[in-house]
Amino acid sequence: MLRDAVRVLADERIAPRAAEVDRTSEFPQDIRALLASHDILGLPFPEAYGGLGVDLLTICLAIEQISRACATSGLILAVQALGSLPLMLAGTDEQRAQWFPSLASGERLIAFALTEAEAGSDASAIRTSAVRDGDDYVLSGAKRFISQGSVADLITVFAVTDPAASRSKRLSCFIVEVPADGFSVARVEHKMGIRGSPTAELVFDGVRVPAGNRVGAEGDGFDLAMRTFDRSRPGIAAQAVGIAQGALEVATAYARERKQFGQRIGDFQMIGAMLADMDAATEAARQLLYKACTEIEAGAPDASRWSAMCKLVAGDTAMRVTTDAVQVLGGYGYIDEFPVERMMRDAKITQLYEGTQQIQRLIIARDLLGKGS
Amino acid sequence: MGAIWVIAEPNPTGGLATISAEIATLGRSLAETSGRELVGIVVAVDPAGAATELATYLPSVRSVTEPAAQGHAWATLAAQHVAVLAQADPPDLILIGAGFDGRDVAGVVSALTGLGVLANAVSLSWTEDGPTVEMSIFGGKFVTTCVFTGGRGIVTVRPKAVEAEPAPTAGAVTAVASGAALDLPAVPVVDRVSEAGAAVSIEEARIIVAGGRGVGGPEGFGLVGELAAALGGAVGASRAAVDSGWIPYAQQIGQTGKIVKPQLYLALGISGAIQHKVGMQTAGTIVAVNRDPDAPIAEFADVLIIGDLFEVGPALLGELRARAG
Amino acid sequence: MRIVVLMKPVPDPASGGERLAPDSRLDRASVPAVVNGNDEYALEAALKLVEAHGGEVVLLSMAPANAPETMRKALAMGAATGVLVTDTALEGSCAVSTAKVLAAALKTLECDLVLAGVDTSDGVAGVVGPAVAALMGLPLLSYATNIEPDPSAGTVRVRRISPTGYDLLEAPMPALITCTQALGEPRYPSLKGIMGARNKEIVTRSLVDLGLDGATVGGAVTTTSILATTAPAVRGATRVIREAPAEAARQVVAYLAERKII
Repeated sequence: MLRDAVRVLADERIAPRAAEVDRTSEFPQDIRALLASHDILGLPFPEAYGGLGVDLLTICLAIEQISRACATSGLILAVQALGSLPLMLAGTDEQRAQWFPSLASGERLIAFALTEAEAGSDASAIRTSAVRDGDDYVLSGAKRFISQGSVADLITVFAVTDPAASRSKRLSCFIVEVPADGFSVARVEHKMGIRGSPTAELVFDGVRVPAGNRVGAEGDGFDLAMRTFDRSRPGIAAQAVGIAQGALEVATAYARERKQFGQRIGDFQMIGAMLADMDAATEAARQLLYKACTEIEAGAPDASRWSAMCKLVAGDTAMRVTTDAVQVLGGYGYIDEFPVERMMRDAKITQLYEGTQQIQRLIIARDLLGKGS
Repeated sequence: MGAIWVIAEPNPTGGLATISAEIATLGRSLAETSGRELVGIVVAVDPAGAATELATYLPSVRSVTEPAAQGHAWATLAAQHVAVLAQADPPDLILIGAGFDGRDVAGVVSALTGLGVLANAVSLSWTEDGPTVEMSIFGGKFVTTCVFTGGRGIVTVRPKAVEAEPAPTAGAVTAVASGAALDLPAVPVVDRVSEAGAAVSIEEARIIVAGGRGVGGPEGFGLVGELAAALGGAVGASRAAVDSGWIPYAQQIGQTGKIVKPQLYLALGISGAIQHKVGMQTAGTIVAVNRDPDAPIAEFADVLIIGDLFEVGPALLGELRARAG
Repeated sequence: MRIVVLMKPVPDPASGGERLAPDSRLDRASVPAVVNGNDEYALEAALKLVEAHGGEVVLLSMAPANAPETMRKALAMGAATGVLVTDTALEGSCAVSTAKVLAAALKTLECDLVLAGVDTSDGVAGVVGPAVAALMGLPLLSYATNIEPDPSAGTVRVRRISPTGYDLLEAPMPALITCTQALGEPRYPSLKGIMGARNKEIVTRSLVDLGLDGATVGGAVTTTSILATTAPAVRGATRVIREAPAEAARQVVAYLAERKII
């Protein structure tokens, strides 16, 4: 019933806004408010803090249903979960009590800031520093490509606390409340897709953060980020499956209605075969996602493999299905009278963020072949 | 053998509702085939006018004076009189309209007498099973023929099931006192408020001009109103127009609004989705104006004009006025 | 305030998949069941009233045994509990039985108001509400577009649609009000509401529990029966006019004149 409720909301209230969100590239505060008022942003958070405390699969079901209508809107829930995961995994009770209630209610948004201009796939190469000064840390550096970075109230920032330590021990994780002295949004990118989701460059110029805002111990940052991705990548997979499903539905409806050469084009084998492949691929990606969620939730030792796999398959599927959807619509697929061109542009990001497809493959290969260097 | 009763409903000015005249006409043909007595029943503060009018359709009318109907909800009062009269002289068939008041009366009489109800009859006959009723169900998907297991009951009849036709000779009116105890609580009417736009009762209109989402706003309903006036009809609306606040709910046609059967239904900017279709699909003639040749209404309209209603509408107005002038 | 909302699960009118069973009754398995549309308006009105005046909303249904699935959505919207009267003897009940059963169940529930949809999308008769009011001796305020209770005075005012606008009715509580769409769109259940609905209580009652039996109510004593069901008459082909407005108007007016409509 929960999935149906989200689906109805997505169809009736979010889908009609999707094209406009894409066209204006404006962050849909109205949809953010809608998700908040319907408790959807509360899904990831424990009931004790006003959330619904659901499992990973349920969060992904919601992301999937919303993304079917609008990928930008689906990302709002995904990022809220992503940004909060370090606190879920390693936060103290005080930290959770301090921040979870306003995140669960959707009153505040949280973003996840790891990536930098020179540190994308190579996350451990980040240079933003966090220097201890009395009871505070002072953060200096810049983050790039941060989803919703310009609309968030809390930023989960990863910074170097020990430059001399080994790769996996250099970083720590901090919650930065913004606005803050020294914090600024340097730019918001113009993107191919998910245009309503502001992707920002964040500058930390001597931003003071209380030591109590550090999540986990000093040096835990890298490990925390990796464990976060194990649980957040399925959210992106869910977004991808949703996008693919949405594109499949538009293409199918079109193939039923559009007539050429005296019959509906869905009856031509080439079109039928494309739609069949799109349906099978989407379903396969979906089922892998659901299985991955169950495994990760159960604490499987190969959680990283499941997480990488579902995101790899779903992302590639979304790209393929949306491209084929444009193909099925022909010329109409290329113009914005139909949503598939937007869905194709939206799909691409699922092959890029939260670890490129290449990184996902590295993770899977590593698991397959045993730990290498 | 029990009689056939027609329960008269009041119209806003205290006269006889059109539907009662229609039902009385229907009653006459049923009385003929069944050989049953046919009686009209009028319950009102001052029933004389309505009773006389009803008597032009029926051989016999019983009129009940009920002073409480002056400032109280009519249906519950009328139903109690009908129920008591029915106890004294049990009819085999009680006919009443399928509108708001008719349904309320049917429900209360059913509770007081134990008689069953068959609702929304579009046609009625009398067979060996007694009153035999035809009604459409599931949004018009099926037409079903039903009877009462005991051979007698209450039937609510759709507007325009038949056309009202006076009898060759007027019948007699007899004033009666039912002796009803009136135990059910009478509900005071504290105020009667008139709102603009509710002139002709939509269900009784011979012609309806209806506007939908395509009308675009309350100003657009000006054109709808002008066309309705030029055709001598009433203004209707789809749910989309009502939900957008362009026109009152009282004029909504469809599944959650009114069911109508006008001779002509002119649909402007209405897609014809199932929820609206069930409200008007039995209209005599359906003419639609829509920009979209694939709109659902294309499947069941008799005439579809592909065009902008704001161009076609004024053109229609021009033609109609030229004809009249 | 304690408000009972009469709720009927009906075949989803939007599905279009209705099929008849061999006995000409609806094959209920052929279409998913949803809360009757007008009952949702009644429920929404009830929820708004308890939000304003305090209290709780109780659902009452006479329905097949699988009704709790459908009732959960109404509970998710905010009703506190549900009462389901279900009994195999009730299959095939007519409006007379339904009203008797609902009245018997209502007698076990104390309340200030009973709200019901004006009619159901499957039966569309609109008689059960008034029948229940009569059996219970409750004031009937029907076709409501607006409900304003005055709990301190123990009265309620209702606007009833009239051909010219509305009539303002007033009655002491408890009273029975039948509800129209004009009362306002039903809320989407929140996810918290949906999850909370799982823990809300639905009490089940059989005929025996209500002191009734299959000899006085239910399918065995139905007052109506279906003889036959057919597809309706098909309308003729659509004449499509694509000409410019002036010419199109001319053709339409000629068409209407030809048929003596104008």
